[in-house]
Amino acid sequence: MTIDWWTLGLQTINVLVLVWILARFLFRPVTQMITERQAAAHAALDDARAAKAEAEAARAAAKDAAAGVANDRTALLAKARADAEQEKQRLHDEAMTELDTLRADARTEMAQAAKDRQQALSEQAGALALDIAARLIDRLPDEARIAGFIDGLADAVAKLPEATRAAIGDGAPVDLRAARALTDAEKTRLTDRLQAVLGRPVDITVTPDPSLLAGLELDAATAIVRNTLRADLDRIEAEVTRHDG
Amino acid sequence: MGNPLSLDPLFNIGPVPITAPVVVTWAIIAGLALFSILATRRLRLLPGRTQTLLELIVTTLDGQIRDTMDRDPAPYRPLIGTIFLFVLVANWSSLIPGIEPPTAHIETDAALALIVFAATVGFGISRLGLKGYLATFAEPSWVMIPLNIVEQITRTFSLIVRLFGNMMSGVFVIGIVLSLAGLFVPIPLMALDLLTGAVQAYIFAILATVFIGAAVGDPPNRAKSPKEGTEQ
Repeated sequence: MTIDWWTLGLQTINVLVLVWILARFLFRPVTQMITERQAAAHAALDDARAAKAEAEAARAAAKDAAAGVANDRTALLAKARADAEQEKQRLHDEAMTELDTLRADARTEMAQAAKDRQQALSEQAGALALDIAARLIDRLPDEARIAGFIDGLADAVAKLPEATRAAIGDGAPVDLRAARALTDAEKTRLTDRLQAVLGRPVDITVTPDPSLLAGLELDAATAIVRNTLRADLDRIEAEVTRHDG
Repeated sequence: MGNPLSLDPLFNIGPVPITAPVVVTWAIIAGLALFSILATRRLRLLPGRTQTLLELIVTTLDGQIRDTMDRDPAPYRPLIGTIFLFVLVANWSSLIPGIEPPTAHIETDAALALIVFAATVGFGISRLGLKGYLATFAEPSWVMIPLNIVEQITRTFSLIVRLFGNMMSGVFVIGIVLSLAGLFVPIPLMALDLLTGAVQAYIFAILATVFIGAAVGDPPNRAKSPKEGTEQ
């Protein structure tokens, strides 16, 4: 067996050339493409990781927001409950105050009504007493309506102040009102008694007034002297009413 | 069919005789170059069938180199890959009637083995430096220097003889059977020859990887391990 050294050399060169060709046109582009694909896959994985991280962050933020909303809701509910309780207490207080006011008003109105009723009863009693007194006076003798009241009127005039007494019948007749027209005797006696009390002569004019029931009433310029049954009844009635009130 | 042990020039280019293995090798180079250019012209991120096949070949090759050397396969990929593809295509070229595989001639096998030997020395020196590479011959002891030198030579010859013997014997057997039995009888033997060719291409490439790996020393992650010492 012999070796063809030319063939050996040429085959060596051929293989080396083939190494260069395949390295240049086969292995390099294919390896580059594999590397690019791996880089793309890594980039996609990185993007996916980033997206996952963002999603996790968004989920955490949403969770925090939900917790915040829940806390706000709890706080708002608590505040609303407190406000409602405060409003309820305020309304209760207002109602109680209004109720007290209404009670006080009712008590006042009841007291006033009772007072008015009492006043009306007193007035009715006074009218009834007046009516009874008038009926009883009608049963007495006619002289009794005047005779018993002349001295009383004179005594009352005597108790008046000096200036008041000086003005009575000074230059003019003394105005008198009587339960009925006076007889001459009664008129004389009355004139005498007044002159005795006043210490000077006076004229009198008597005006009948049946509403006086009995007695006399002297109308001076600055005073009125009443000595009548009607005046007595009015005084009694006023006294009764004052005590009842 | 000619005698595989002797080569007759088909023609001469000046003083250089051009033999059949050289012409077939040129044809293989042209075919592989054309296929590479056409197949890698439109590579995409979403690969088609051809691109998938190419990427499968490259990733498988890288995986074998990484498993064998435990290193980044990029510096060794062109040489190992070219040896594997060339030997495979050269072995399978016998399927074409009238074509003898270049690997059935000892010159081609010797050229491949010489390239592997040169690559072993070159990668060893570039990785370890000249002194470091020469120091590997004295491992584990200086007594081993002659044996290590002989080993370098004999394993190169073993590469030559293994590939040449297998491919030449296949050609011989098919030629003998074809001359004795007829046209279709050698077909099972040719199918067996396909398997033999693929296995021999794989063995040649793996042995080249092992030899280069041994020359460049232990991988970085095992270089300082005291228990694992030398593996050459």
